[in-house]
Amino acid sequence: MRSNNGFYGEYGGQFVPEILIPALDELERAYQEFRNNDESVTEFDRYLSEYAGRPTPVYCAKNISKKYGFHLYLKREDLLHTGAHKINNTIGQALLARFMKKSRVIAETGAGQHGVATATAAALFGLNCRIYMGSLDVERQMPNVKKMKLLGAEVVPVEEGLRTLKDAISASLKDWVTNVTDTHYLLGTVAGPHPFPEMVAYFHAVTGREAAAYFRGKGILPDCVVACVGGGSNAMGIFQGFLDQPDVALVGVEAGGRSLNPGDNAATLSRGTRGIFQGALSYLLQDDHCQVQDVHSVSAGLDYAGIGPQHSFLKDTGRVRYTHVNDGQALDAFHELTRLEGIIPALEPSHALAWTLNHSDELRGKHVLVNLSGRGDKDLGIIERHTREDR
Amino acid sequence: MKGIYLAGGYPDTNTFRDCFHAVATSGFDFIEVGIPFNDPIADGPVIARAIHDSLGNGVTPDQVMNEIHSLRNSNIKKYVMTYANIIYSYGIKKFSDRLTGLLNGIIIPDLPNRMAHLFHENGLDIPIVPFATLETRESDLVMMNRSGSEIVYFIGVRGITGAQSNFESPELVHKIRMIKENTDKKVVIGFGIKTGEDARQALKIGDGFVVGTEAVRRQRDPEALRDYLRSLCQ
Ligand SMILES: Cc1ncc(COP(=O)(O)O)c(C=O)c1O
Repeated sequence: MRSNNGFYGEYGGQFVPEILIPALDELERAYQEFRNNDESVTEFDRYLSEYAGRPTPVYCAKNISKKYGFHLYLKREDLLHTGAHKINNTIGQALLARFMKKSRVIAETGAGQHGVATATAAALFGLNCRIYMGSLDVERQMPNVKKMKLLGAEVVPVEEGLRTLKDAISASLKDWVTNVTDTHYLLGTVAGPHPFPEMVAYFHAVTGREAAAYFRGKGILPDCVVACVGGGSNAMGIFQGFLDQPDVALVGVEAGGRSLNPGDNAATLSRGTRGIFQGALSYLLQDDHCQVQDVHSVSAGLDYAGIGPQHSFLKDTGRVRYTHVNDGQALDAFHELTRLEGIIPALEPSHALAWTLNHSDELRGKHVLVNLSGRGDKDLGIIERHTREDR
Repeated sequence: MKGIYLAGGYPDTNTFRDCFHAVATSGFDFIEVGIPFNDPIADGPVIARAIHDSLGNGVTPDQVMNEIHSLRNSNIKKYVMTYANIIYSYGIKKFSDRLTGLLNGIIIPDLPNRMAHLFHENGLDIPIVPFATLETRESDLVMMNRSGSEIVYFIGVRGITGAQSNFESPELVHKIRMIKENTDKKVVIGFGIKTGEDARQALKIGDGFVVGTEAVRRQRDPEALRDYLRSLCQ
């Protein structure tokens, strides 16, 4: 989805310290050259297929479909190398870093999936790698921390703020400002300053292309495409395959957390207002005094007060319906998919699944595609804890 | 052009006022008052901690603006330093109307020069201070001349507030010369000035300096701040 000079309607822009502007210009040039160059695109595609495991299948989930009365299709991004969609973007940006002759990459991570995918691409392309991760997320996503370290990345726990994704992004921006000469900031979602939202969406567009091709092959269109929305990258990936098909309803599901009270959720598009945060003008969860709101979600990858600018635009135009499900509903959907289909999903896409299962009446008889953005190995600790608490 | 940054409303209203008067009566030309925002991406640990504590004490943008109103009779030039969201979400026009006539400019660390027009087009009538950095290219300087500000804020380090500038570096000297040759603005050096020696060096190569971190470090103790300010001006 192309921006108009870095903006989608009024959303987007480059709200970062002046010192980063030349680096963003350099990145924009590299990205434009990359996407217009057949050789680089071919190399990217080759890594995605031979290394990351693309294309991923679309699976028609028979047992759930039967129980709930609709046709559920899962785009199996959970089968990708490193276990989530994030690898599309990290391979793309690592190729760009190499092209720009940057020897070091830094990244933020929430659930750790983007951190693992970045550390993986850094190992593959011989780049130094440092990952910033809120210390609360370090505790709740330990398996991924261990993987990043094995892959040769340095993991820096961030003790500021709520010690989650926002704080990891702030720490990354501070590092980038300091080391901009030799460092590329490998941002993990469609947020941040231009060109990140457009570029990250471009690297993830392959998900939507593959899904659209699957349905073309079947000779039908899905009635509805559902994705979870944290910063918004997996959702942009799959939505781009269907944006120009007005008959396909698009649904973005945010984290409703514990409740819809301020501080208890991360439902930015449902509960937020326009603001400027971490590089872009977009919707933002903020209080009456223009301060960024605390957020909560059982899922570390959705636990973010901001949102990519494309989603704000798509909300205002009405093309995408944005909604939310709470922690408990996401956990229930997690167990439902695990037991009925033998697929253990990450807690992030469990939100998309939960919305779908909860709307079985509205969806009766319809063809529904859910982007299964990642697998749940990383979440077993959280699941275990919640199961204990329930008893 | 000698300036000091103070975190607005920190550590409490009365102490902040004492610090403000210490700066106003110590031979400084301008003061920057920080309005707190809880994602201060350009600030190092000392200023970030002060902002965090102020917000924890319930300081709001409105309170800091009230404070600026109450200090309007002091002759020192006044600037506000705050993040883009505070102005945008408060309402750009409303923010401007609240402070118009009181300020010489606004410093917005996450609003790069190329985005400043958006704020002016939406009702901001106060000059936005343009930035120059070690990465500034000659082509960037044209934009700076469009600003109504008397000063350009030169960030002499790659880093955040609290880092250390190196005034011997040929890169820094060269950049400042480039800015002076291409703009009509006074070059004020910020980020990385700690000692009287730094201040003297800054005045030699630029037109002025701002001290932030080392002032905020002493904001709980106005007497210590006064002693420190004296050491900067010797
Ligand atoms: C599996 C998975 N899905 C979704 C997300 C949320 O990010 P986004 O909204 O950018 O896709 C994450 C983030 O860590 C994730 O790991």
